Amino acid sequence: MAMVVAAALFLRWLPHHGWFVGTLVCGAIAAALAINLTQKRRFHRAVRGINRETMPPDLGSTAAVAASVVVLALLGIYTVLFLPLQP
Amino acid sequence: MPDDSNTGAKDARGRLASRLLGGGTEPDPRFTLANERTFLAWIRTSLALLAGGVAVEAFMASLLGPELRKTIAVLLLVLALVIGGGSFFRWLNVERAMRSNSPLPLPLIAPVLAIGGALVAAIMVVFVIARPA
Repeated sequence: MAMVVAAALFLRWLPHHGWFVGTLVCGAIAAALAINLTQKRRFHRAVRGINRETMPPDLGSTAAVAASVVVLALLGIYTVLFLPLQP
Repeated sequence: MPDDSNTGAKDARGRLASRLLGGGTEPDPRFTLANERTFLAWIRTSLALLAGGVAVEAFMASLLGPELRKTIAVLLLVLALVIGGGSFFRWLNVERAMRSNSPLPLPLIAPVLAIGGALVAAIMVVFVIARPA
């Protein structure tokens, strides 16, 4: 949900910074979709883990979420610093 | 908890997870899940800062000059970057500490967030006071 909100705010940049912001919007929406679609699998994994009283940590999902936020922030900094404002 | 279940869980981890998390025993799954929840809370904070940076750049054109606007937006976006990346390493360090039964590490991203937030707030306060009426 927070990713969708971020994507909606990126939309506000679209008229000012051009098509490049479209990649930011698409990236944020893709990340939000991936999180939403894998939600059920993670929930079942957590339930199984509690049931068996042992659960290996989900390194892949955690790293992917952190990486997507870092990439979005990097692209945002690039947009602010290097993309000129369009009238 | 029997030992063989812990060994089974260790085998279920991938090669990268085994290398990054090291040895030790699987902690109580509730602790693992609590660590994940804390990680997600930091990610939400990071996304809020990201949205704040975008909002400053997009919505405050009539209020702030271009240089000040750019400075505040970049500051917020850098803070989002540091918090987002730092939250993963915090999660990893806590996970390692729980596996080896050692004390939990200090969250270094908390003072970063506090100092960064205070800096942005101070810039805004100076701007509001110095702005001609």
